Amino acid sequence: MIANRLGIVLLAGILMVSLGAWADNLPGAKRPRTDLYGPESVLVQCPPDTDGIDTDGDGNPSNDNVCMHLTAGDGFVKTADRDRTGAIPEQGDIYTFGFSDVTLSSVPDLDGVCGAEFPAPTLVGYRAGAGSPEPLREGQKLYLTLTNVGMVMRGDLFDPHTVHFHGFPNASTIFDGEPMASISINMGASLTYFYNLVEPGTFMYHCHVEASEHMQMGMLGNLYVLPKQDKLPDGTLLGSFTHHTGYKYAYNDGDGSTKYDVDFPIQITSFDPNFHNADLSIQPLNFAYMNDTYPMLNGRGYPDTVLNAPIMNNRKAYRPELLNKPAQKVNARVQAAVGQKLLLRISSLATTDFYSVKILGLSMKVVGRGAHLLRGPDGPGGTPGKNLYYDTDTITLGGGQTSEVILDLAGVAPGTYYFYSSNLNHLSNNLEDYGGMMTEIEVIP
Amino acid sequence: MSRAISKGRTAMNRVMTFGRSGVLVLGALALFLSIPASATIDGLSGGTYAFSAREGFISTADGGSFYCWGYANGAGVMQFPGPTLIVNEGQVVTVTLTNAIPHALGTKVSLVFPGQEAVVATGGTAGLLTQEASTAGGAVTYTFTASQPGTYLYHSGTSPELQCEMGLVGALVVRPAGHPTWAYNHSATAFDHEYLFLLTDMDPRIHELMELNQFPKITAPTKDSSSWWPTFWFINGRTGPDTMADAFVAWLPNQPYNCNPRSKPGETVLARMLGAGHDSHPFHTHGANHRVIARDGRMLESTPGAGPDLGWSDFTATISPGETMDALWSWSGYGMGWDIYGHQLGGTNLPGHGFDAHEMYAQSTLASAITPTDTAITVPAGEGARFPAAFRAILYQAGAPDPDTGTTPEVVMVSRTGADTFTIGRGKESTTALAWAAGSILAYTDHGRGLTVSLPSQQTIANGQFVSGSPFLGGSGELPPGEGGFNINGGLYFMWHSHNEREIVNDNTFPGGMLTMFVVEPPWVVIP
Repeated sequence: MIANRLGIVLLAGILMVSLGAWADNLPGAKRPRTDLYGPESVLVQCPPDTDGIDTDGDGNPSNDNVCMHLTAGDGFVKTADRDRTGAIPEQGDIYTFGFSDVTLSSVPDLDGVCGAEFPAPTLVGYRAGAGSPEPLREGQKLYLTLTNVGMVMRGDLFDPHTVHFHGFPNASTIFDGEPMASISINMGASLTYFYNLVEPGTFMYHCHVEASEHMQMGMLGNLYVLPKQDKLPDGTLLGSFTHHTGYKYAYNDGDGSTKYDVDFPIQITSFDPNFHNADLSIQPLNFAYMNDTYPMLNGRGYPDTVLNAPIMNNRKAYRPELLNKPAQKVNARVQAAVGQKLLLRISSLATTDFYSVKILGLSMKVVGRGAHLLRGPDGPGGTPGKNLYYDTDTITLGGGQTSEVILDLAGVAPGTYYFYSSNLNHLSNNLEDYGGMMTEIEVIP
Repeated sequence: MSRAISKGRTAMNRVMTFGRSGVLVLGALALFLSIPASATIDGLSGGTYAFSAREGFISTADGGSFYCWGYANGAGVMQFPGPTLIVNEGQVVTVTLTNAIPHALGTKVSLVFPGQEAVVATGGTAGLLTQEASTAGGAVTYTFTASQPGTYLYHSGTSPELQCEMGLVGALVVRPAGHPTWAYNHSATAFDHEYLFLLTDMDPRIHELMELNQFPKITAPTKDSSSWWPTFWFINGRTGPDTMADAFVAWLPNQPYNCNPRSKPGETVLARMLGAGHDSHPFHTHGANHRVIARDGRMLESTPGAGPDLGWSDFTATISPGETMDALWSWSGYGMGWDIYGHQLGGTNLPGHGFDAHEMYAQSTLASAITPTDTAITVPAGEGARFPAAFRAILYQAGAPDPDTGTTPEVVMVSRTGADTFTIGRGKESTTALAWAAGSILAYTDHGRGLTVSLPSQQTIANGQFVSGSPFLGGSGELPPGEGGFNINGGLYFMWHSHNEREIVNDNTFPGGMLTMFVVEPPWVVIP
C-alpha cells in the first residue's frame, strides 16, 4: 500500500520530504522516512513558547504557542443526493480542492494526497503534550503550516495554494495569502503562517489562489478565536455582572452580555456541479455562468447536515490505490438544552450568492459581525460604545461575511427547530427537493 | 531552508535589482507601474454643470468592447460612470442635461438625485419621475440645494432598468461646510485620504443587442430585463486590473476614473462605496476591518452631535443596489507579533523571540498605567532603577485599543527623565517626532522583533506581482525573473474586492472584475 501511495505522489510530479520535526514529538508519532526524499521541503515550524509572558491569560507563560499542519490538494466528497443504499456508489460524487489536517500524521505529505476535506478542518491549536487540540484563544500565537500535496486528479495543474485568514486584523501581506500581494506555496513544499491572535471573534479561512476557482472547488473552512474574558479570575466584576470560572463569552464585552453555554460554527457554502465536473474532466471553466445548485451548511446538504457520522467519500473509484476516506467529518446538527444560551457562529463563503438563513420558532440576538462585537465606537476617554445588538429571526450574509447570534433557550419548548435558508429555492440538493441549506437545532429538555 | 531577509533598501536599489532580473517584465508592464496622478476623488467641483447624454464604447480588461450610454461633461466624450460631482454643503447644484444619444431607444433621458430634496426640473417634457430631455432638443435643468453632506448616487430616471444598465449613473459627493477633510459634520469622521468605490455589474448581451438596435425585438412589446445575467463587474467604471491603472489614461477614453486607494500606516481612509448596479455585492477590505459611519448620506448617529456612534466594524460591507455606505479604514500594524518595519536594534536584528527585562517591565507596568492624557508618569520609588539612564520606549496607546479604525495608531514615547519619572510624548507611528532612534528600547509594540518563522526557499514559492521580495513595509529583496515587479516602494498590497468570488472575473477570465489593490505605503512615500 505504501508503495502504491508513493507512486501516486510521483505520478503527480511531486518530490517532497516529510520532516514533521514537531509532529514527531507528539504521542504516537513515528519518525518519517526523511531518507527517501531529496532536499527538505516539507517543514513544520512549531517553536516552543519561551518568552516568559502569559499572553493568553490562562496563567501559564509557557503554553501560548499553538500549531497546526494542513495539506492542500484535491479530493472527493459526497453531495446529499447521494445514493444511500449503496447500489450506485458513484452517485453524489463531487470533485473538490481542499485542505486536510495532518498535524498528527507521521506521513503528512502522503496522508494529504487526494485527501481534501469539506469543509476544511476548523483551525484549532495543537500543543505538544496537550493531547487533543483546543479551540484557538486570544493571546495565542498560531503557527499554521501549509503543505501543498498537489492535485492528483489533475496532473496538468501545478497550482500553488495559500491560507487566507479572512478578517485578520492589521494583517501583513506575507501571511495574508492573497497571491498577487503575497507568496504562495508550490507543490511538495511547506509554508508556515504566523498569526498573533490579538482579537477574538468568528473569522473564516480559505485558499486565495485563483480564488474564484479554488473557493468554488471547496477550499473553505471555519475559524474562530475565543476571547480572553473567559479566563478572568473568578468573581471579577464586569460592570454589574459577576464573572465566574467556566463562563464563556463571544467577545470581551465588559458586561457579560455575550455569555453563552454552547457554541457551534455553521458555514454557508454552495457548489456548482457543472464547474466541479469541468475541473475533474479537464474542461474550460465557465466562470461567467457559475450557478450554484448545491447549497450547504458545513459542507453538507440536508439531511446529511443532521447525520452524526462522518461521510465516506468514493475516491477509490477514481484512484484505485487509495482507500475511501471520511472527507466530510463535521455536521451541522446543533444541540442545546432548555435554559441554555446557544451561540451560533455563522459565516458564509458561498462564491455566488447572498443567502438569508432563518430559524422557525426561536429568536436570534445578533451580537457580533465581522469578528467584532456589534458595538459602536468607543466614546471620549475610552467609554464603551453603544451595544447595537438586535433581535431577529433572519440574517443575510454574502460571501466573506460572518455574524454571531445568541439564542436564549430559557422557557423554550423542547423539540426540533429548523435552521434553513429562506431563499426557499435553495432548499434542494441540485435536482432533489427537500434538502439543501437546512439543518436542525435540537432543544433537549 | 530559510531565506535571508534584508532590511529595506532604497527605491533606487530596488530598481537596480530588477534591472538584473526582470527588466523585460518592467518594460512590458510599465503601464501598471506608474504612480497614480491623484490619490483623492477625481471629479468636478463648482456646482454648475452642463451634461450631455452620449453613446460610446467601454473596454473590459479581457479585451472586450461594449456599447454604452453615459453622461458627458459638456460636449466631451461619453464617460462611465458620469462625472463625479463634488460640492459643498449648502451649495446650489445646477445640472443642465442635453440628449445626444442618436438611438431609437434613447429618445429621452433624464437625471434623478436620490437623497436630495426639492429638486426642481425645468424644460424638456414631463416623464414618469422627472422632466426628460429628448434628442429633438430641449435641455432640462435640474436644480437643488445640497443640504446634507454625504455620498450619493445620481442616475437616469427614464427607463432606469435599461438606462442605468447602459451606464447612465454617477456619484455626488457633498462635503460638510467648512470641513473638507471630514465626511460629515463631526470630527470623528475626519479622514486623511478618500476614495470612491462605485460598484456596477453588466450583462453584455443587453449592450450587444442595444448596439444592433435589436433589444426591444426579443421581448416585444415590453423591454424585458428579467433574464439579466451579469458577467462583468466594475469599480468606478473599470474592471480589474484596469482599476489600478492611472486615472484619465488615453487608452480608456470613456472610463476616466480609476480606483487606486493608498495610505500610510496610521492614516484614516474614507471609503465612499456606492451600489450603482443591479445586485448586492459583499465588498471585502483585506488588511483590516472598516467601520461604517454612514448609509445613504446620513451619519449613523444616535443624537445630534454624537458622531457616528451607531456605526459597526466589519471586514465585508454589503453594498446593495441604490445604496451608499461610508466607512473609515486604517491600518497600523498593531499587534502583529513581529516588526513590520524590519527595524533593528544596535545594527543587528533581535532574535525572533523574547523581551529583555526592561521591555517586559515597560509592557506590564508603563503600558497599563499610562492614561490617554498623561504627559508624565512616576513609578514607585526605586523602580526607575530597573531602567537604563537613557531609557526610551515606544508603546501603543495604553488601555484596550481597537486597532481597526480611528485614532488607535497613536503611539507614546516614554523617556526616563528622573530617577523614577518618565515623560510621555505622543504622535503617530513613524512620524518624525517619534522616528526610530538608535539605542531606544521599544516595548509593547513589536519593534525590533524579528520575523517569527523561516520563509520557504524561493524555489518552492510563487511570488505575486505585488510582492517586493521582503515581508517588511518598505523592504525589498531579490526575486526570480518574471515574479514581482509592480511594487516599487515596498508597500503592502491588500485586495479590496467582491467576496462573491464569481464577481472577480472578466467574463470567463480570472482575475478581474470587481477588485483593486489597496496599498499601504511606507512612511517616506508622498501620497498627494
